[in-house]
Amino acid sequence: MDTRATGPVLELNKAVPSFDESGLPPVPFSMRLMPGDCAVVEARDASRTTIFADMCSGLVPLTDGSVKFMGLDWNELHDRETNALRGRIGRMTRRQSWADFLGTHMGIMLQQLHHTTRDMEDVVAEATRLSEWFGLPGLPVLRPTMLSDGDLLRAACVRAFMGRPRLLLLEDPLEASSADLEAAFLGALTTARDKGAGVIWLVRNNAVWQGYRQGITSMWRLADDGLVAVRTG
Amino acid sequence: MSESNANPREPGSDRDPILEAESKRQTQHTPFVLHVWVRQKLALLGRLTRHQLWFFLIMLGACWGVVFESFRAHSWRRTVRYEFGVTLNSVVGGGLIATLFAGTLTGVAAVSQTIYWLGLAGLAKMTGSILVNVVVREIAPILVGILLLGRNGMLSVTELGLLTTSGQIRSFQAQGLDPFLLLVLPRTLAFTVGGFTLGILFSFASLVTGYVISRISGVITNPVWTFFYDVVGGMSGADYIIIPLKFITVGFVVGVGGCLTGLTATNQDNLRTLLPRGFSRGLLIVMAVSVLFSLDL
Repeated sequence: MDTRATGPVLELNKAVPSFDESGLPPVPFSMRLMPGDCAVVEARDASRTTIFADMCSGLVPLTDGSVKFMGLDWNELHDRETNALRGRIGRMTRRQSWADFLGTHMGIMLQQLHHTTRDMEDVVAEATRLSEWFGLPGLPVLRPTMLSDGDLLRAACVRAFMGRPRLLLLEDPLEASSADLEAAFLGALTTARDKGAGVIWLVRNNAVWQGYRQGITSMWRLADDGLVAVRTG
Repeated sequence: MSESNANPREPGSDRDPILEAESKRQTQHTPFVLHVWVRQKLALLGRLTRHQLWFFLIMLGACWGVVFESFRAHSWRRTVRYEFGVTLNSVVGGGLIATLFAGTLTGVAAVSQTIYWLGLAGLAKMTGSILVNVVVREIAPILVGILLLGRNGMLSVTELGLLTTSGQIRSFQAQGLDPFLLLVLPRTLAFTVGGFTLGILFSFASLVTGYVISRISGVITNPVWTFFYDVVGGMSGADYIIIPLKFITVGFVVGVGGCLTGLTATNQDNLRTLLPRGFSRGLLIVMAVSVLFSLDL
């Protein structure tokens, strides 16, 4: 599997999602995200936002068009290649994503431990550093159900930014969050972009991203007629 | 207040009085037509048959998948090894006391009684072969299978069922974590190793207890190594393959069955539907394996 080092990180080329499988409108979605870009996608419907992020991750079957990540079409890849490629996506989702039989620390590090051969100490050190960056006292080892919503949100931020993600799909991370998390989040976002990650920041409320207005490269709205570009100026 | 409303819904009852009254009201307006009734019953039977066949075929595929993937070095990533270790610890470590206790009870109830009655009938020479055929080959795999199912199989059904119904499996997939590789493969193999280990320990515990009880009650006077020599002498060449294979297979199918029942849960499922389904399927699987190995083909 040869990934492309240059060119768009993510490319939606008139991709028509299957309505039966996704519930998204069966209209062509087109979008291009370059390394270091940060696109804000505004959507009122929370479930639609999650499904759109699924489509970017190649989890939604298409009836037409293509979705390419790092130059590779999700539809043309085998399961192993698809999974390996998804290992390079950092994601924050509204969907339940913490398995209670694993400690939170394992939930945070699972993707890195599964997809990479990095030293365990190295992964733990990065997870601990990011946990502290996002305001946790250290790497949380309790079960996810024992953490507060706020701490779980911080842990989700740590998980999304672990490793060196090439694409970040972030579903409303700052909604109802504290000011210190906002500063940490925007700092981590900038660092990830500097390292070449493309970011899709999915929001319900426009006020959330105003503090990062200068850093936004494009703005979109997820509507019934597909993905509509919005002027940011 | 009407009479039907005055009767509250009983705790634990599946019947919803409101839905029941609504469906009754609808059926009251529909005239009885024989061919429609027959078609409905046939459709129900077909659905049931298809569903059972569907699960059986999924299970066959998953069994092959586990065997195939387990021989690929690439499958044994750190996360898979971690899950294997945790499950094995839970199956063997957690089930050790229960298995030894069940083996001891079997020794008291079955082994010592067998020794006693065979001695009384003058068939003491057959003690070894009968113990091997009845206790080690037939009773041990079934009891160990049921213990595995109850202790860890149902846990897998619950954990994976909740992961599936709450959408966490989808979240795993979004991270590139294949649920089959991450959960089904290591858990099934841990159950397989656990089934063999616990089966051997169960057999040993039951035979030792049976010997001790018989020795204390004065039914036999042989030393313990003579007793075990008789038991080993009662085993045929095929027993050395079939007995371990039976323990291994029981563990394997309980593991696959539990994981798949959890992973095939739908949004309509909850613990009240999942647990009985998982238990009945598991029990059927254990009995089917036991019968298959007992067939004199």
